[in-house]
Amino acid sequence: MGALDGIATGFQVALSLEGIMFVLIGVFVGTFIGMLPGLGPISAIAIMIPITYGMDPTMALVMMAGVYYGAVFGGSTSSILLNAPGISGTVASAFDGYPMAQQGKAGKALAIAAISSFVGGTISVVLLMIFAPMLASVAISFGPPAYFALMLLGLSAIASLSEGSTIKAMISAVIGFMIATIGIDPQTGTARFNFGSANLLDGIDFLVIALGLFAIAEVCYLIMNRDKKSIGSAKEIGSLRLSKSDFKEMSGPAGRQSFLGFILGILPGAGATIASFISYITEKKIAKNPDEFGKGSIKGLAAPEASNNAATSGAFVPLLSLGIPGSGTTAVMLGAFLVLGLQPGPMMMTDRPEVFWGIIASMYIGNIFLLILNLPLIPYIARLLTIPRPMLISLVIMFSFIGVYAISFSVFDLYLLLAFGVLGLLMRMFAFPAPPFILAFILGGMMEQSFRQSMTISGGNISIFFENNISLVLIIMSVLSFIFPIIKTIRTKKKEA
Amino acid sequence: MKKFLAILLFVFLLGFLAACGGEDNEESQEDSKSNEESTEESSEGNAEGGEWTPDQNIEMVAPAGAGGGWDTTARMAAQVLNEEGIIEESIGVVNKEGAGGAIGWSYIANQEGNPHSLFVSSSPILLVPLSGQSEHGHEDFTPIANVIADYGAFAVREDAEWENLSELFEQMKEDPSSVTVVGTSSPGSMDHIQFVRFAKAAGVDITKIKYVSAPDAGGITQVLNGSADVFSTGVGEVVEQARAGEIRVLAVTSEERLEGETLSEFPTAKEQGIDEKFINWRGFFGPADMTDEQVAYYETKFKELSESEAFAEIRSNYGWNEMYMGSEEYKNFLDEEKENLKGLLEELDLLNE
Repeated sequence: MGALDGIATGFQVALSLEGIMFVLIGVFVGTFIGMLPGLGPISAIAIMIPITYGMDPTMALVMMAGVYYGAVFGGSTSSILLNAPGISGTVASAFDGYPMAQQGKAGKALAIAAISSFVGGTISVVLLMIFAPMLASVAISFGPPAYFALMLLGLSAIASLSEGSTIKAMISAVIGFMIATIGIDPQTGTARFNFGSANLLDGIDFLVIALGLFAIAEVCYLIMNRDKKSIGSAKEIGSLRLSKSDFKEMSGPAGRQSFLGFILGILPGAGATIASFISYITEKKIAKNPDEFGKGSIKGLAAPEASNNAATSGAFVPLLSLGIPGSGTTAVMLGAFLVLGLQPGPMMMTDRPEVFWGIIASMYIGNIFLLILNLPLIPYIARLLTIPRPMLISLVIMFSFIGVYAISFSVFDLYLLLAFGVLGLLMRMFAFPAPPFILAFILGGMMEQSFRQSMTISGGNISIFFENNISLVLIIMSVLSFIFPIIKTIRTKKKEA
Repeated sequence: MKKFLAILLFVFLLGFLAACGGEDNEESQEDSKSNEESTEESSEGNAEGGEWTPDQNIEMVAPAGAGGGWDTTARMAAQVLNEEGIIEESIGVVNKEGAGGAIGWSYIANQEGNPHSLFVSSSPILLVPLSGQSEHGHEDFTPIANVIADYGAFAVREDAEWENLSELFEQMKEDPSSVTVVGTSSPGSMDHIQFVRFAKAAGVDITKIKYVSAPDAGGITQVLNGSADVFSTGVGEVVEQARAGEIRVLAVTSEERLEGETLSEFPTAKEQGIDEKFINWRGFFGPADMTDEQVAYYETKFKELSESEAFAEIRSNYGWNEMYMGSEEYKNFLDEEKENLKGLLEELDLLNE
């Protein structure tokens, strides 16, 4: 069966009455779960597995896929409105989305997020349709040295994430690195920095840190500065109508980052979170006015939103065409495939084309549904901000606590959440930026592991990083990325002189 | 306007509760608390009558997050036990995630004698305590019944130089560090230990083996792109790639060839003259101090589960094998297996009891 026939079969499945119904249920549940901090697609899908047992496998999977990308779509809402990321993939959306909402443009911010998500989702599904079989080789092309180089490239942007003091950004990043080393070290199996506590053996969950540093720190700051204009004072939600220039401004980042996000999504282990950060950084690097970023830039919101949704579709490439799950959520999806009697992998496209193409086609339709579902709801959801400030603050605290508790049902994590809230508040009071901390935490852990995997493989020979083409190119790019800002400063200084 | 807000808030909260309710978690956790209180009376009351039956809902703990092997086993077993009417009382699955199982085990360890709280476990309950990362081992619980067996496999890329496991080990006997082994978990846990066990049986110096741990499906990726040489994992992880001709399975860890398409083509290590085996067993445990009647009750029920058609279908979908062991046999098996693993870890200098 050719690809065109396959796509046609896929749409037949997805556009059947049943198909449409399950796509709708999936994306609806997904959006909802995404909006609530802590509750993520992993637990939602795991719970669905026994329920869907005995159902038509294609329909069950179409629905679960809908939950997955629906959650990424919906996750930006709480990032933008409350500075409390709904899922880890939408942390970067708070960087510019939240300031925008505070400026009385909540409606616009949500509309930008929804449209960018739609663009990211749609472009990536088209890429998935055309290239899925070919892209399988991309998914496995990255060895440990290449991953290390990729993480290095991401980190080279730490300085660019700072507003003001570079040294403070670096200090913030170092703390992020240190926190990333807590827990059992996979390469030796020994526990590091857990202070004898079993609670820290698994390390600290990313969402605990994100909710602490952003949501809790923000509400503490608000309580301390009651008279200043901030959350809850944004009585205006503004129009969600975007002007022509808005569209023009977001089209570049949304378009570009859909491609980048898709590629990063394909790589096992990278996923939506890393993709959204790297996209944010890239846009900031190439922007004419990088100073706008972090203060409510349209580009700064469109980039991570397009990217995380594109990465979600990307994650289906190794899952469907190789049977390799690159992330927690796709690993649970793989379990769902198995229990429904399907084995995703190189043979699936020929053995069960209706499942393979049905899922992909349903994602296309699901994205349209998400846009239709979300846009009309924006004015109502955005009105959350008009709730009186004391109530809104309590609501954020409550959601953060429930969210963290829902991650692993551990009370210890709640104390951690408070600790990171206090840390976030201190960082804010002394003007240490939080994004470098977050970035170092997510990239740092993976960077360390891939470095040490490379060292074990090469027997301690550092040349392994330069022997592989991918890692060589990425390392050269990181070096350039370090040098470029320095040259830029020297040049501007010369001009001034 | 205010009314609208109130409604919005209410809907939000309601939705949240519904979402949580769906997970069974909140509820069953509260259940378990009330379990603790009422346990003593009920177990005493029943013990006198000879036969014991549960008199309240049963909590089934998966000492891991949603979606993993333990969680799947717990959810599937709970579903079949209830749907087939093997156990009348409703069974709620609870995830107690963390520290490779240690968080869940310490939770159960605190429920001594509570016959309404069970959990699922496999090899890590032997290995994790040996590496010093859990205070509790299988000795602190009541083994009830084993139900599933999974086997490991060693795979290489299809164009690799080794045709079978013996060839690989021949080379490793000469130079153990010329080969990189990759697995999903850390040294001292299953993927590593199963390889080491066979390497030792073949006479390789196991202290010099290069082992890389690559989570998130990094293992198969690294073998396919040539970063690592041998992938040590569960047999289910390699079937599809082997069927597509991308990788070659050098050996499986079972004593006899497995059944099923493709699966039956994988040679055992025993065929190749390496007399060793590794079973990734998976079964159910209860807290310490359960009465004989309680154990007997669950033993029969799990046997019924194991023999049911519904569970057979689930087993075949996941590629699990049937392996039933009753409480007594299970306990002896575990004791023996632990001694064996202890020796290996000691030699690798990973023992940290």
